[in-house]
Amino acid sequence: MPDTTHPTRALRLGVCGPVGTGKSSLIAMLCRELAGSLRLGVVTNDIYTDEDARFLRSAGVLDPDRIRAVETGACPHTAIRDDISANLIAVEALEAEFAPLDVVLIESGGDNLTATFSPALVDTQIFVLDVAGGGDVARKGGPGIERADLLVVNKTDLAPYVGVDRDRMVADAQEARGGRPVVALSRTDPDSVAALVAWVSRELARHRAGDLVPADPGPMAAHSHAADDDHTHPHEHAHA
Amino acid sequence: MADPDLFLMLLADARLPVAGYTQSAQLEPAVAAGLTGRDVAAYLRTRLRTVTRVEAATAVVARHHLERGLPLSGVESAWAARTPSRAMRETSRAQAHAFLRLAHRLWPDAPSLAQLAESARPPRPLALAAAAVACGLPALSLARLVGYDDVQTVCAAALKLLPLDPYDATAWAHDALGDVEALAVEVAPLTTPGGIPAAGAPQIEAWAEAHAVTTRRLFSA
Repeated sequence: MPDTTHPTRALRLGVCGPVGTGKSSLIAMLCRELAGSLRLGVVTNDIYTDEDARFLRSAGVLDPDRIRAVETGACPHTAIRDDISANLIAVEALEAEFAPLDVVLIESGGDNLTATFSPALVDTQIFVLDVAGGGDVARKGGPGIERADLLVVNKTDLAPYVGVDRDRMVADAQEARGGRPVVALSRTDPDSVAALVAWVSRELARHRAGDLVPADPGPMAAHSHAADDDHTHPHEHAHA
Repeated sequence: MADPDLFLMLLADARLPVAGYTQSAQLEPAVAAGLTGRDVAAYLRTRLRTVTRVEAATAVVARHHLERGLPLSGVESAWAARTPSRAMRETSRAQAHAFLRLAHRLWPDAPSLAQLAESARPPRPLALAAAAVACGLPALSLARLVGYDDVQTVCAAALKLLPLDPYDATAWAHDALGDVEALAVEVAPLTTPGGIPAAGAPQIEAWAEAHAVTTRRLFSA
């Protein structure tokens, strides 16, 4: 588990979700919004190129040295879940070189709906869908959609052009998540951007206060206890 | 203490969380330069006689030094002198970094792992050697581990890079085992840095250098 008791360690924020949903753009947006007030670093996990890292560097939102690419050998799922060593080393190198950092953003390579971050790599994670990927995706559910710390339904401005009922999709997402937060995001809607930034600020405040315990979205852990190893169960169920 | 065979299995397991999936053992730049499935078996043999032989011999000599508490600097310089590609030295050190995260978790009190602090950024054979001392792996087993891991790294990467039947890839690994054994038997008795063979492979080194500066790659190296 990450050393969440260390008050100076950066908040490690994971961003995952299927290919093309806007993970890189969301990270660029966060950098633009937060770079003035917070010290940031970014680790990208491209599948075949360093395109995402170059996109972010060329976006001019952050010092290019603070953006690192990790190659995942066609195993993006492994790199954020089963064997996080390459990412962990990249994050720690950034934290050491630019100490102190406030937030390190880790972008997963685009993967399928079951890919989520290990709680040993990130403190909190955003799962990104987009309306152009289909209005039914939120209803289908899955660990990231249901249990990531935040679900972003992205590119809501495109809904009329792709025949998706935006409000229906967001309502499906909220229903699938049982009260966990959802942000319906469009880069053309300043209020939605503000909602995303406010969520990150709240997570950072919880991290600094020592109240942020990494929660595992799954795939098996509808109910998991990352922090307390010797808890007792008043209810019956098998642990993942 | 479990039998050393079991430790060898643990360390040779592809599921070990040491970022093995980031590595192609220079197969990716080799394929970019025109190597095909017909050449992979020869590529494996070439590595076992050159670059992998240097890694295995370095690991065995480092193990000898760590077991006796002898200084490691001579071993590391002998390895560096025989690894002329800066990209390959960097890769070895990065892999060691990932491996040592795991090793310190498994054997937190091992004096051999503590002794690696002599090196600012130990290369992979030194890290493997320290683990071998920590879990009682003999020199011959350590050398087999280095050779076997290299073979499997190439074969696993080949499945991502070339149009292949997975059974063919496993057959290549199987057929290379005799060469792995020959390598292990040759280097296992080594004890001194000067004894580490200077067996470079300029083409593989050139591929490693070219790969380090490409912007389109699946594998880190």
